[in-house]
Amino acid sequence: MNDLLRKYRWQFSGMVAHLIQRITGLLLLVYLFLHVRTVHALAEGPAAFDHAVSTFSNPFFKLLEIALLGAVILHALNGVRITLLDLGLAHNRQRQLFWAWSIGVGAVIFLAGAIPMFLFAVLK
Amino acid sequence: MRTYQVKVTRSTGIATYTVELEDRMTVLDVLFRIQWNQDSSLNFRCACRVGMCGTCAMSINRVPRLACKTRALLLDSSVIALAPLPNLPVIKDLVVSLEPFFEQWKKIRPSLNAADSAQLAVIPEDPDVSRKRDCITCGICYAACGIKATHKDYLGPAAINKAFLRIHDPRDRITKERLRVLNDEWSGVWRCHTQFNCTAACPKGIDLTDTIVRLKRSLLA
Repeated sequence: MNDLLRKYRWQFSGMVAHLIQRITGLLLLVYLFLHVRTVHALAEGPAAFDHAVSTFSNPFFKLLEIALLGAVILHALNGVRITLLDLGLAHNRQRQLFWAWSIGVGAVIFLAGAIPMFLFAVLK
Repeated sequence: MRTYQVKVTRSTGIATYTVELEDRMTVLDVLFRIQWNQDSSLNFRCACRVGMCGTCAMSINRVPRLACKTRALLLDSSVIALAPLPNLPVIKDLVVSLEPFFEQWKKIRPSLNAADSAQLAVIPEDPDVSRKRDCITCGICYAACGIKATHKDYLGPAAINKAFLRIHDPRDRITKERLRVLNDEWSGVWRCHTQFNCTAACPKGIDLTDTIVRLKRSLLA
């Protein structure tokens, strides 16, 4: 009987996907401002740019880079899922699409990128 | 028999009751048991008791459901939290007013606008949409909708589903007017962000998000 309830809870994965898309979207927006601001330092010369980039060389920002990778992957894969749904494709498979595609495939890509980043950037 | 702690969000605050139930009993049975044995002042609404009328819709453990169709055992919790449906004004205790729901319903002009009254007796066969006719206007999709919670003008899934049925009815003559209402930037189908909450919560299993997505595509065609 608990299986029935789990199935019911599982049905609300669309809301989970929506929240993930919103939260990662806002995080990427914050990153975008930071990115543009850093690149803008080029206009002030190489020294200013080097100084701006050096801010991000400590391990804390390397960890944030790993988090950024996760946000980009989740946002991109879930965006593909939403596009497919809007096109009327895989509509009755939206839950599986979220868990298998956005989370499952996303986790594989994330680990493939995050492990080397952690080993060679954070622990170096 | 199992013992449950029932927390009811009443107009006066949260009231807690302890109730013993058999495994086959529903949340509606819980409410009747409380009303008969512990607190006769508890207000709730029900009519058919078999999931046909939608009257006993309420928030059960934070999910809008029909009390008569929800077995306490399946909640997998010894605590049952009951509250009035979200997104609707509370009249008293677990009783809400469906007036805002039907105000949106009216906007899509729900009645069939057929050219000839002789046509009315024949319901066209359309297996593609027949399941969507099962709506009992319980308001659960309206309460579950995350968009409805923040956009009071949004039509809501049930009204959109009704419009969809009319648009797909070959007898109906005011498709353009219905589509105009549905195409509204703030209250129409474009407000839907495919959260699938309405589909997940609908006690009749209607794929309301599918309805909305199909209407979006119709409007773009």
